[in-house]
Amino acid sequence: MRQLIAKRLLQTIPMLFFVSVVCFSMIKLAPGDPVLNFVTPNMNPESVEQIRHNLGLDQPAYVQYWEWLKQSLTGNLGYSLVNHQPVMDQILDRLPATAGLMGAAIALAVLLAIPLGLIAGAYRNKWIDKAINFLAYIGISVPLFWLAILLVYLFAVKLHWLPSMGMRTIGKNSFWDVVKHGILPCVVLAFGFLSSYVRYIRSSTIGQLKEDYVQIQYAFGSNRFTILFRHVMKHVLLPVITLLGLSMADLVAGAIVTETVFSWPGIGTLGMTAAKGMDYPVIMGITLFSSVALIAGNLAADLLYGIADPRIKLTR
Amino acid sequence: MRSKRKLSVVVVLALLTLVISACGGNSNSNSNSNASTNAPSNNAQTADNGQADASQPKDGGSLIIAVGADPVILNPNYAGDRVSLTIDQALYAPLFQINSGKKTFYLADSLTPSADMLTYTLKLKSGLTWHDGEKLTADDVVFTFNKILDEKQNSFLRGNLIVGGKPIEAVKVDDTTVDFKLPSVSPAFEATLVQITPIPKHIFENEADIEKSTKNAAPVGSGAFKFKEYKTGEYVTLERFDNYFGGKPHLDSITYRIAKDTNAANLALQSGEINVKYLDPQDVSTIEGTGKFDIMPYAEGRLSYVLFNENSDRGALKKKEVRQALSYALNRDEVIQAAYSSAEYADAAKSILTPDTLYHTNEVPSFDNDAAKAKELLQAAGESNLKLRFIVKSGDKVQEAISLYVQQKLKEIGVEVELQSMDASAWGAKAFDPAAKDFELAISGYIMGSDPDAYSVLFTTDAVYNSTHYTNAEVDGLWKQGGSEADTAKRGEIYKQIQEKIADDAAIFPIGYTKTIVAFDKQFGGVEDAVLKPVVIFEDPSKLYLK
Repeated sequence: MRQLIAKRLLQTIPMLFFVSVVCFSMIKLAPGDPVLNFVTPNMNPESVEQIRHNLGLDQPAYVQYWEWLKQSLTGNLGYSLVNHQPVMDQILDRLPATAGLMGAAIALAVLLAIPLGLIAGAYRNKWIDKAINFLAYIGISVPLFWLAILLVYLFAVKLHWLPSMGMRTIGKNSFWDVVKHGILPCVVLAFGFLSSYVRYIRSSTIGQLKEDYVQIQYAFGSNRFTILFRHVMKHVLLPVITLLGLSMADLVAGAIVTETVFSWPGIGTLGMTAAKGMDYPVIMGITLFSSVALIAGNLAADLLYGIADPRIKLTR
Repeated sequence: MRSKRKLSVVVVLALLTLVISACGGNSNSNSNSNASTNAPSNNAQTADNGQADASQPKDGGSLIIAVGADPVILNPNYAGDRVSLTIDQALYAPLFQINSGKKTFYLADSLTPSADMLTYTLKLKSGLTWHDGEKLTADDVVFTFNKILDEKQNSFLRGNLIVGGKPIEAVKVDDTTVDFKLPSVSPAFEATLVQITPIPKHIFENEADIEKSTKNAAPVGSGAFKFKEYKTGEYVTLERFDNYFGGKPHLDSITYRIAKDTNAANLALQSGEINVKYLDPQDVSTIEGTGKFDIMPYAEGRLSYVLFNENSDRGALKKKEVRQALSYALNRDEVIQAAYSSAEYADAAKSILTPDTLYHTNEVPSFDNDAAKAKELLQAAGESNLKLRFIVKSGDKVQEAISLYVQQKLKEIGVEVELQSMDASAWGAKAFDPAAKDFELAISGYIMGSDPDAYSVLFTTDAVYNSTHYTNAEVDGLWKQGGSEADTAKRGEIYKQIQEKIADDAAIFPIGYTKTIVAFDKQFGGVEDAVLKPVVIFEDPSKLYLK
């Protein structure tokens, strides 16, 4: 087990290196110039050159990458080109907001998806299955930002039940206030995942119901509910673990949309601003962080698999 | 099965839209009921006004202003973005301001040029203090000046303090007097000085790199409001500074709320979570419909124009007649209507100088709307089957509308326009790249301030910001003359000539002097005294109050 973790961790090193090279090249190939952030028309060309030089932007791309890599290996992700704050500080500053929102959204999605998926699978092709399927279909088709605007209009503007934006009321610092602000973005983000989870669980429920142990339970006179929520659920939960690992990537994408619409001060909005301003140290920092999250998510899923079902041997 | 599902999705979306429009219907009835519930308070207000127009505005209350991004840096020597400049305006008092040609003194009491125009004497008000209670004196002004000039400090304002290759010198005379010594006459000096905002010497004295100093995170200013709290990605809150030299501000606090998504921010405006916000012309009717906001359009000193790239590899735009012909093909009022939906939000522009700039005149050749003339000119220039490439910033409603209009109008004179849509940063890189040869047309705009000298970088041969590649030796000479002419009357004459010549050359097609539209919550007042100002919204936020 320990060996496996070590091996997997070692494998991530070339992967991260590869990701960073690709990401850096893409930034450099993209049109746009970070110096445009500072240039105002009443600035003379010498000042522009001075700024370019101070930021190291007059160096060839491979030198810039090498400098970045050297720095990063010492744990220093560099400074933002725009506001000159350390990238690491900015990411750590915003990580809790994103992690909190994502955690809550995943939990909500899973909690809803398990019963919905189980019921849909058990009542295959009945009206309730169709209804749930339809809901899932909507979840895939509806753009998240549209859903977000819709909910804000309803719950913030019309009903005044919930705040429409931000993470807290200005000057307030209570946990409940943050929760209140988090409800809408969390629901939107969860809705984005719900569909794929439900469809996954539904199909694996259908598969499980054909298994012998289900027939045996029926023969023992267990009712449908017990079979579904006691026995089948155990088996169905297994693929959900994999799904969770994989959804780390979707989460980052979903978070960008959701955080932007709700002005949630997380990694998503930070990345969005950085991308607009060609602020490459910040973009690189965020890419590394999300790659690590994705790899860690998959590794954790693999390990949990072994724990959840000891029959699956963790060798390789 | 699939199509059935698709159909059902459509049905559900339609149902949802119905629900929403039903809400919209409710909103009408709501606003009606609001109107009726508001009625008494309105009455109360008029009663208030009736009995005590002279009564002082109330103290207290907090104003929430929407901003589109985090501030880059809360230090006026380095702030170049709209958000930082807006917050700095409340945080750091300027020496004086020039807005629509009107000069207002803040920290300064007076600014007097010597007879030879080589020395400007600045008198500070007495008894000025920083937010931390330290005295604000001539030392701070000189310190600020020297730090901007210090190359190691990386301030982009530095270039403005160099005249004819030599730096301007700031010399302390006594605690409230500073002499600025110019190496040669520079009539634009006052406009330069407007941009210099003193920063506290006692805070930054020992900082090696002020731009990266951690002290910028807890700024100590001299403005009407002092720094209280900054939550990254959420908001910046400033609170009242009781010792403000302009008198105690009325509001308890001002919060700048960061809202990245315009649609969402508009909803927050309607739900009362935001009190002040910029509006797109397209959103005005919705916000106005709530009855809770004053809609205030005001001039930004900005010119929006069609850029003719004379440097393009297809060459045609190098000919003055072709540029004039293209201008003749367009109708200014129609462009404005197409782009800004109403003439209320942009005044027709003919000159390259904006109306708030000294010596501005709209009495220049304008080549407006004459298709026959346009065809004639094209023929005379020997151009037929002209094909032009028009680069458009995707997602920019104004640019998209104008480009479609231009495409249609130029077709009428036999010119084919190919629209090339690209994302904002790609567009910026191309439009402002001095070497770009692969496009002919674009929409651009600029805000250059109150002195015409600043515009020379846009229309001098080989100047960095001359993205049209306009070149006219005579005009180059005039810019030089204007920049060093001390006599106001002669200067005025020079800039009048410049405006006429550039207009006659049709270097650009000026569209409009555009306005910014701000929605302002009716619960608040004092805007007239606070003065709406380009880029920063309020020139003096200390005058705002809760009704």
